[in-house]
Amino acid sequence: MIFKCRNCGGNTVYEPSRKRMYCPHCESLDSENIVQEGSLTQCANCGAPITPGQYASAGRCEHCGSYLVHNERIEGVYEPHLILPFKINKDMAVERLNQEFHKKTFLPSSFLSQKSLEKLEGIYVPFWLYDYQAHYDFEGEGTRVRSWRQGDTEYTETSYYHIIRQMEADFDKVPVDASFVMDDGEMDLMEPYAYQELEDFDPKYMSGFDGEVYNQSAPELEGRAQVKVRDASESLMQQSLAGYNSIRPGRKNLNLNRDGVRYALMPVWMYLYQYQGKTWRFQVNGQTGKVIGKTPVSRGKVLLYGLTTMVSVSTIFYLIMAILGAV
Amino acid sequence: MKEYFKYFRWVFIVIAVLAIVLAAIKGAQGLASITGSHERTNTECTTTQRVFDYADVLTDREEKKLESLIAKREKQTGCDIVLVTLYESLEEYAREIEPDVPHNQFVRIFAEEFYEENQFGYDKSNGDGVLLVDNWFREADGHIHTWLWPAGNAADTLSYGDVDWILDEVYLYVEKDAYRAYKTYVNDFYRGMTGKKSLNVNLPEWLPILAGIIAAVIFIPMNWKSRSGSRTTTATTYVNGGREHFVNKQDIFLRKSVVKRHIETSSSSGGHGGGGGHSSGGGGSHGGGGHSR
Repeated sequence: MIFKCRNCGGNTVYEPSRKRMYCPHCESLDSENIVQEGSLTQCANCGAPITPGQYASAGRCEHCGSYLVHNERIEGVYEPHLILPFKINKDMAVERLNQEFHKKTFLPSSFLSQKSLEKLEGIYVPFWLYDYQAHYDFEGEGTRVRSWRQGDTEYTETSYYHIIRQMEADFDKVPVDASFVMDDGEMDLMEPYAYQELEDFDPKYMSGFDGEVYNQSAPELEGRAQVKVRDASESLMQQSLAGYNSIRPGRKNLNLNRDGVRYALMPVWMYLYQYQGKTWRFQVNGQTGKVIGKTPVSRGKVLLYGLTTMVSVSTIFYLIMAILGAV
Repeated sequence: MKEYFKYFRWVFIVIAVLAIVLAAIKGAQGLASITGSHERTNTECTTTQRVFDYADVLTDREEKKLESLIAKREKQTGCDIVLVTLYESLEEYAREIEPDVPHNQFVRIFAEEFYEENQFGYDKSNGDGVLLVDNWFREADGHIHTWLWPAGNAADTLSYGDVDWILDEVYLYVEKDAYRAYKTYVNDFYRGMTGKKSLNVNLPEWLPILAGIIAAVIFIPMNWKSRSGSRTTTATTYVNGGREHFVNKQDIFLRKSVVKRHIETSSSSGGHGGGGGHSSGGGGSHGGGGHSR
C-alpha cells in the first residue's frame, strides 16, 4: 500500500515532530488516502518491479522513491500488535548524534569533518514483548556480625538467622529484538522505551520509514527474555538480602510463567558513517534519542591524556607529601 | 589544545593550589629559619660527619641525602643528630666497661662512649643531641640490638614513650629498607622534639611515581576503545508497578555466638631494652632506650 495526498497526489509520510501525516509536496496535514495497490514485486506508485529484502515490511521504491508499506508483511501472522511511533525526526536524530560526538573527548578531530554519511534510515525494528510472572522462593541461613571493644578485649558477635523469602514480580513487556541485522547487545542498550506511548498497530506510522517483520518467532527468542527476567529477579532478591554478612542458601527456586507475548515495532534511527576506510554504525532510539554505537578513538590523544594524568597524579601526591612533611 | 585544558582544568587548579600552599609554607619556614633557627655553639666537636655507616648498609648517595636531611633537622631542633651502624660484636668492649651489662645494652654503652668521645652536642661538648646505634651483628643471645641515646635537651624533652615510638618506627622498615628506616629516625626525632608527632607521614619517596603509574594504567585502557553506550535499565524497569512484592519475608533469629579476644596493648616482638635510667657525664636525664630484632 501507499499513502497519497488527497490534495496533490504526493506521497504522504508520518512526521514525528508534528505527530501527524504530512505531505512534503503541498504541505497538507492529515490528507492521506490509502491506496491499496502494488505488491511485494511491484511498486504501488509507479508500477515498476521492486525487490524488497527477505524481511522488509516497508521501504522506498528504488525507482520513484515513494515510501511503500508491504501489505503481505503486515497482515495475518505478520500483523504487529503494537507500534511505537517515531518521536524524533531525522534532524533531531542528527542533532543528538552530534551532541554525542562532541562529548567524546577521544574522538579524532578529523572525524567530524571527514566522515561521510553512507546510510541513514529510520527503521521500525521488530520486537517480541514478553510478559512473565516470576515466583522466587528462597530459604537459607544468614549471619550478621558485629564487633566492639571493651577495655582491652574485643568482642565479636555472630547472629544466625533463618531467612525466608517468597517474592513475586510481574514483568511487563520485556523486549527482545527479532531482527538479524540488529546487534543484540546494542539493541539491549537502547532500552528502555517509554511504553506509555505504545499504540495499536496502524500502518500509517510506517509511511516514511523502513520496516522489518520478525526474523525469528517468539518461541525461538524466548530464551533471551528469560535470561533478562532471571537476572532481574536475582538482583531484586539480592537487594532484599542486604545487611547480611554471609548467606548460605538452602532452597532456591525461581519459577517463570509466561503470561503473554506481543509483536511490536520499535523506532530506531540507523546511521552508517564512512571514515578512513571503515564503516561506523550508530543507532539512535527513535523515541528517547539515546545514542548507541562505537566511535573511532584517537590513540595519540588517549596516550597524551594518559601521560598528563600520570604526571598530574604524581605531582599532586608529591605536593601533598611535601606539604605534610614540611608542616 | 583548548579541549585539553578544559579536560584537565580541575586537575591543574588543584596542582596550582597545592603548589601555592607549599610555597607559602616554605616561605614561612624560610623566614622562621632566619629569625628563629638555632646556631650551633659547640666548638670542641671537630667532626662535621653525622652518618657513620660502619656496617655499610647505606649507599654513598643515601649517606649524602641523610647528611643533608640531618643538617636541616639539626637547625630546626638545635640538636646534633648522629647515626652509627655497626657490624661487630660489642661484648668484649662493653663488658670491659660494665662487667654485668646484659646483651641488649652493649649498644647503650657504645652509644654513651661514642657520643662522649666525639664531643657531640649542639650547644656544647656532650650537650644537646641524639645518637642512634644500630648494630647489625647478632650478639651471642641471637639478636640484633639498637639503641637510641638522647642527650642534654633531647633527653629532657623526649619521654621513654617517644623513644619507644621512634624505635618502633625505625623497626618498621629497617630490614627491608635501611635508608628509609634511618630517614624515619631523623624525621621522627624532629617530630618528637617539636611535638609534631601527630602529623607523622613517612611515605616512601616512590609513592608519587607509583600513584601516577597506577592512574595511567587505569586511564589508558579505559579509554583505549570506545564503548557502545551504557546500560539504562534496572532490575525493576519491566516490573509492573515498579516494585516486586514479597508474599512472605521473614528473618528468624536462631542463635548467636560471641567470641572474645584479648588485645595486646604493647606489641613487643624483639623485647624492649627499657631505659634503665643510666645517666652519663653528658648530663642526660635518662639513658634512652633500645630495641632488639
